Amino acid sequence: MSEETVPAVVLAAGEGRRLDPLTNRRPKPMVPVANRPILDYVVSALAGAGIDRIVLVVGYRQERIRNYFGDGDDWNVDIEYVVQDTQLGTAHAVLQAEAVVDGPFLVLNGDRIVDPSLVSQVRDAVATDADRPVLSVTRSAHASDYGVVSIEGDRVTEITEKPTAPARSELINAGVYGFSNDIFDAIRETPTEKGELAITTTLETILADRPASAVREHDTWLDVSYLWDLLSVNAAILGDDKFETTQESALEGAVATDTAIGTDVSLGANATVGGSTALGDNVTIQPNAVVSNAVVFPDAVIESGAVVRDAIVASNARIGANTTIAGGTSTVVVDGEVHEDVDFGGAIGDNATLGGGVTVDPGTVLGDDAVVDAGAHVTGRIEPDAVVRRG
Amino acid sequence: MCGIVGYVGEGPVGSIVHSGLENLDYRGYDSAGIALVDRGSDDLAITKREGEVSGLDVPSVSSATCGIGHTRWSTHGPPTDTNAHPHTGMTGEVAVVHNGIVENYATLKDELIADGHEFTSDTDTEVVPHLLEQRLEAGHDLQSALESVVDELEGSYAIAAVEAGSDRIVATRHESPLVVGHGDGTAFLASDVTAFLEHTRDVTYLQDGDVVVLEDGTVTITQDRDPVDRPIETVDWDADAAEKGGYDHYMLKEIHEQPTALRQALSGRVNLDDGTADLNLEFPPGFLESLEEIQLIACGTSYYAAQYAAGLLESVADVRASAQLASEYTFNGGRDPWRTLTVAVTQSGETADTLSALRRASGAGVRTLAVTNTLGSTVTREADDSLFIRAGPEIGVAATKTFASQVTTLALLSLFIGRERGTLSAADARSALADLRGLPGAVQQVLDEADTVREAAETYVDASAYFFVGRTYGYPVALEGALKLKEIAYDHAEGFAAGELKHGPLALVTDETPVLAVLTEGTRPAETLNNVAEAQTRGSPAIGIVDGTVETNALDVSFEVPSLGTATPLVANVYLQLFAYYIADLQDRPIDKPRNLAKSVTVE
Repeated sequence: MSEETVPAVVLAAGEGRRLDPLTNRRPKPMVPVANRPILDYVVSALAGAGIDRIVLVVGYRQERIRNYFGDGDDWNVDIEYVVQDTQLGTAHAVLQAEAVVDGPFLVLNGDRIVDPSLVSQVRDAVATDADRPVLSVTRSAHASDYGVVSIEGDRVTEITEKPTAPARSELINAGVYGFSNDIFDAIRETPTEKGELAITTTLETILADRPASAVREHDTWLDVSYLWDLLSVNAAILGDDKFETTQESALEGAVATDTAIGTDVSLGANATVGGSTALGDNVTIQPNAVVSNAVVFPDAVIESGAVVRDAIVASNARIGANTTIAGGTSTVVVDGEVHEDVDFGGAIGDNATLGGGVTVDPGTVLGDDAVVDAGAHVTGRIEPDAVVRRG
Repeated sequence: MCGIVGYVGEGPVGSIVHSGLENLDYRGYDSAGIALVDRGSDDLAITKREGEVSGLDVPSVSSATCGIGHTRWSTHGPPTDTNAHPHTGMTGEVAVVHNGIVENYATLKDELIADGHEFTSDTDTEVVPHLLEQRLEAGHDLQSALESVVDELEGSYAIAAVEAGSDRIVATRHESPLVVGHGDGTAFLASDVTAFLEHTRDVTYLQDGDVVVLEDGTVTITQDRDPVDRPIETVDWDADAAEKGGYDHYMLKEIHEQPTALRQALSGRVNLDDGTADLNLEFPPGFLESLEEIQLIACGTSYYAAQYAAGLLESVADVRASAQLASEYTFNGGRDPWRTLTVAVTQSGETADTLSALRRASGAGVRTLAVTNTLGSTVTREADDSLFIRAGPEIGVAATKTFASQVTTLALLSLFIGRERGTLSAADARSALADLRGLPGAVQQVLDEADTVREAAETYVDASAYFFVGRTYGYPVALEGALKLKEIAYDHAEGFAAGELKHGPLALVTDETPVLAVLTEGTRPAETLNNVAEAQTRGSPAIGIVDGTVETNALDVSFEVPSLGTATPLVANVYLQLFAYYIADLQDRPIDKPRNLAKSVTVE
């Protein structure tokens, strides 16, 4: 079997609720990092590894994905789409691709940045020994947030998804798999848990009698689980020569070097763009504004004198004049879980409008379409469409 | 108006021609055909039939060296197998495909019949292969035969011909588009670059009277039998943009492409420092300042974009401006041609009605400006200046993103002219420019609500008719909304100036005729709301597009848009596009190829 014939199935149907409100209008794979959607890094890595056929499993807000990738000409790959109408887990998503793959294939998560070398290693492993599933493993200090794996030699013998007991190792499932067609039968035999079919549950069963080949990932683990991860992953990519980042607009003024600047960005007099910052297409930064360590999505407007630090500003949002997102550390609650001391100035949802002179406390998450009156003080999590009056 | 394709070179000639035709079938899809020159045979291999390209078989030939193809939108003779192109003469030695109309074909046909020629089709085209055969018999080669034949033809045409036993295509054009693509040892020919964009982006736009020979991957162009050098240009359109990219219909894809298209339309043109639009347009000193009138000429959707722009021009550039239907246009009395600017708005740049109106304006001595999406198109050569809307290829027959890009580009033009004439302050221009920069994000916001539009369409899909109303800039948007619905859903839809409802159309209103109203900034919404109430009193359901400018609690359905000044109705239009799309989709209409219609109408 020639290498070129191994296709890749990329799971991009999920919503990614932990990144709410950014995922109210786009699936998590389309959240931009350094001005490119996360999924673009996955598709580029596949193309870089010589994979020429990609099946995207799409569902939630799929038009965003179809719009961006088309049929893959820009990446020199053939992209096909299969639809997962209801999101019933990763294994269920893989099952949707059954009709369009034959022989060994790769499975990747569309919301996790991967390296081309990892892709080619998994591809080589599954092409050599198609009877054995292939798992990529990496190391994480927070192993118990992920699928913890046990390894013997170069075989993966066990996987436990988000163990409640202390993790047996720091090795985790890095989310790039190599499978052959028999995975589909194995998935069908997998019992659902809470109505979901997870690929890791299928693997738990398979590994019991057929250990998988292990492929080790040595690169930095670039995972966007929470909103603040978007800032650190954005900074990591902007600071890493391995990734190509572009400055599409010629800006006059104080612009740090580790930035990504989209097309037609407008930068007013004396405005400052600090390091680790991505400004999307058509972003307007008015005079005297300061933006630093920030991810600003396309079409957003940051008015005169505003300060935006350690923050995410989603598409078409408007930050009023002299509004301050001061940045720094805070304690943030996501889905009832308390995260202490995270570096996170806040996130402003799509189309939200902040009037002039608003103060945004660190860790604030403002829902999309919310409106904040001039001079108000916002803190905590604010629902979409909310109107915050000055109180 | 049809699509023609040609290919010379290595590889699967038949399937290259076939896929080229598929990319062109927005130009016509009632019949199609292919002719291939087979190295191992003395005959041409031809397949042709009524119906879309997808149902057409590629002729089976062992080793084809070149081929031509055609997809037809009938003008002379109904869509039948025999009327499909390519056409041949008596001997079958030559095959011809043709886009346009041979106006004097009846005379030519009579002469040929008198000479003993027999005709099999009802088309005007068929005279061409017969005439070519006459010349070949008289000793001409294919190129000089074609040169001699076109001397006798009247009308508009792009013609390509092949001859059995000869590895070349000979083609010419007069007032119909034809473009050559340069590959690696291969050459392409087509009515539009989208036919071969996946193979090459290096193109040469032919000019009227050019005769081109494609042979062995080389391209030779002559004009009046003398060689001419035409530049090779690189098209920056993305091949992907002309493909469906996973969408069910091009139209839905193109609706969703609007934020990107609008960013491209604005790119590099918004000058916030000086408060003006940078459009790279040079007018003679004093020309804009001395203007008394701006006429915008266009057809169909472009006409509604022109109507929108006429309002903008009058308000910001303080100059009399009007939109005129190109097919009705004449340069009438009471005007000074030296103080008039005529702006031709055409997506394709090939719209025959618009081109002939443009010629009437030029003939009267008026300075002309083309606003188009198509580099190298006829309108760009005939007008004094050109301004591109940069929307990228639009394949769906129902124009969507190009309307948005046309209005946006024309809005920039109005700001530019207003600034040049000194009628618009830098501050007001900046505020309008900021609104235009807000368009991509605002349109995305509407696209995110597509599901709610679909729900509304499900509610009203069984209506007996749809009425669209608006005032000021909401009026052309109402007209455009109705046109979309007509085109793709085949349902009765009319757009009215809201105030006109009570002067007649109200008689049509029942509880089965929803009224869709544009109720945003820039549309005098409070007055329109009264007209909506008049319809609601008669039982009509009311759907409104609102931005909070007026209280609209009485509406049955309301869709929200952000306020962007006079650009707001353009955002509202996206809801109407989606509404038309879903009404049509729920009825399983062939959305990208509505019956009887084709894009870029190149006949008058």
